[in-house]
Amino acid sequence: MSAAILQGVPATTLDTDLWVDLPARQYVRVLAVVQKLGGAILARTVVALKDDSLVNFLYRIDGIGSFGEEFELAKEVSLGGCRVRVLPIERIIASKRHVGRPKDIAHLPLLEQVLALLSKRGGGSRTAKRGGG
Amino acid sequence: MKKKFEIELKRLKREPGLDEHERILLARSLSATPQERWDAHENFLRSLGLFEHWKRKEFGFK
Repeated sequence: MSAAILQGVPATTLDTDLWVDLPARQYVRVLAVVQKLGGAILARTVVALKDDSLVNFLYRIDGIGSFGEEFELAKEVSLGGCRVRVLPIERIIASKRHVGRPKDIAHLPLLEQVLALLSKRGGGSRTAKRGGG
Repeated sequence: MKKKFEIELKRLKREPGLDEHERILLARSLSATPQERWDAHENFLRSLGLFEHWKRKEFGFK
């Protein structure tokens, strides 16, 4: 839901999902970076960063395209002085609908409501959509 | 931010099916920048003592 929050969905989440373009078997590489940055490893894909915020690393996301395809469609936002790419709300909806767990289904009405509002005004959430590349 | 909020709120008044609380919530969120949204989200978690994962465990979160 972090990507949705950044695009104006009034929600909250207890962890941030980060999609990593690596095979899942290479998770050790990601955890090594986390350790180097002072984070704590809580599980194979879950870490607590130095500020104690939780991050969940994903190596695949079901219901949407490949990392490369989604990267091209991603929206770019400015966060903490960095440019960060996030899945557009419609792609988050597609993934949650596909996964279909109760907690994903529960988010759908709010995601759809905000998407409808943004669509009416021409998709202009205060994020910059990259023109590919 | 206040001016953008007011513009957004005015826009949302034309939306059917939203009560006053929803309109304010959405207007605040939609008028903010991504950084402002993220800061608000983190502040919300902190205000409830839910930002640090070990504190969340105390509340029974996994």
